[in-house]
Amino acid sequence: MANWTSASRQALADLLSVDTWLPETMPEYAQGFMYMLGSLTASSFVVLVLSGVVLAANGPASWSYNGADRFAAAVHFWAVQAFFFFMMLHLWRVFFTGAWRGGRKETWLLGALAFLIAIPTAFTGYLINGDFYSQWNAVQAKDGLNALGLAWVNLPNAGQMFGMHVVVLPLTLSALIFGHIARVRLKGVVPPYPAAQVQTHTSKEGQ
Amino acid sequence: MAAQGQEDMVTQYQYVPEDFMKHLMGTLGIVSVLVLVLAIWFGVPEEAPLTIQKDALQNPVAFEAMTTRDLNGQGRMASYGPPYNDGTGNLESVVQKWVGILHPLNAEDDFIVKPLEMAATVNPAITPVLNRFESASPAQKVLWANNYETALARGTVKNGLVVVPSGDYGPVSTLMNDTLKLGESGLMSGALMRNPNVVTRFNNQNYELFLEGDPLHTAAAPLQLKGTQWGIIHSAVPGYPGAWWMTIPSWIYQWPFVANSPANDGIALGLGFVVWVLLAVTPCIPGWNRVPRLLGVYRLIWKDYYHQHTADPAVPPENLP
Repeated sequence: MANWTSASRQALADLLSVDTWLPETMPEYAQGFMYMLGSLTASSFVVLVLSGVVLAANGPASWSYNGADRFAAAVHFWAVQAFFFFMMLHLWRVFFTGAWRGGRKETWLLGALAFLIAIPTAFTGYLINGDFYSQWNAVQAKDGLNALGLAWVNLPNAGQMFGMHVVVLPLTLSALIFGHIARVRLKGVVPPYPAAQVQTHTSKEGQ
Repeated sequence: MAAQGQEDMVTQYQYVPEDFMKHLMGTLGIVSVLVLVLAIWFGVPEEAPLTIQKDALQNPVAFEAMTTRDLNGQGRMASYGPPYNDGTGNLESVVQKWVGILHPLNAEDDFIVKPLEMAATVNPAITPVLNRFESASPAQKVLWANNYETALARGTVKNGLVVVPSGDYGPVSTLMNDTLKLGESGLMSGALMRNPNVVTRFNNQNYELFLEGDPLHTAAAPLQLKGTQWGIIHSAVPGYPGAWWMTIPSWIYQWPFVANSPANDGIALGLGFVVWVLLAVTPCIPGWNRVPRLLGVYRLIWKDYYHQHTADPAVPPENLP
């Protein structure tokens, strides 16, 4: 069997490289606002984590009697709105540009998984908020999960939802986002479709 | 480098200088400012919860109708089924039955009898009434409860108690008024969230489920939060964004064959998952994975690139990556 350490060094050499994570050049086509959407989504996640750490440190209901924590809850709330807003725009951009081409299917899949996991991550946050929206949806949404055989996830149990929201789901989401961004950095951003004129030109170049 | 046409993408492009760190700090700055301004300006939407105490104080007759249904087995949780009990009222699929009872809940015992047993240590007058109810046959209990639930349609409140026309209610009318008083006191929450093995109270399941049924639905309807009102994507506070990213499952929930099915929740969530699977495997679906090419929106996104390469076709090969 191959040397595990050597194999790991080989695999991590590119993944942990400064050249991978801090490039000094970008493809000419990957410019402008459309290519900020992924970073805006990731930045929203950073704000979510920071405001979430404040809320977790002070306790899940502290916003209800502490003005500063209520502001942290407001930041957390708007950050999740920003996260989904930019993620949805990013999703449209990568769809319209066929971003899975050129060996980038795994990048697409990791992004889709991040989207999927982001939904319960946000939802469990709503559930532990303790207001009427939280109360209503904990009771209502349980029926769908129970019907699909996912009753182990007991939405009316705020303790379980707290653990899900502050540890299990954000760690999972963080790993998926890391994997997604790592793939983007390692594989690069998908090049444009060959438009007719460019195709002609390229074929000439290739002659 | 992929050969031209093999992956349906151009190979002629250059790399241009970019300060990537500045780009990242820029997006973080944009989001931070945006979120801070929104948080300062709009705060956070919070609609006060419907506590058991509030419901008991505001809707005493409806409250007793709900607790009576815990005794005759007609309550939402009394008849629910797995994972809470062996009822069938909310049994939507075979797999729900297979999973079984993971979070046991007996509505009669957990919602009514045990809280009243605790209340009886403060008010001993409850004990003989409770004993009479407990020693009756199941059929007798249901009969009393059915009679009382029917009578509550003409229930009124006098001196803080619900009064109904005389009838064969056994001890149920007294028990329900005792339960109402316990609810009004605010002590019901402590009676429901019990775990003698630990001092923490992380599991509030029985508190949350106590009001399942009419009380929560009555409170949710004017806020447009019910499933048939596309509720999941609405905020409880008008004017604020809700979980709008759940629009597709909410839409599926409105489809007549879903809405009219007894398994509506499971179908809507299941079909929502199917939509996600289609999204996830988009790269592998022939035809569908060519749709972006056919739509041509990419021409706008890469407008500058195409313009540059059409206007100036002489990209020197040495500048290619």
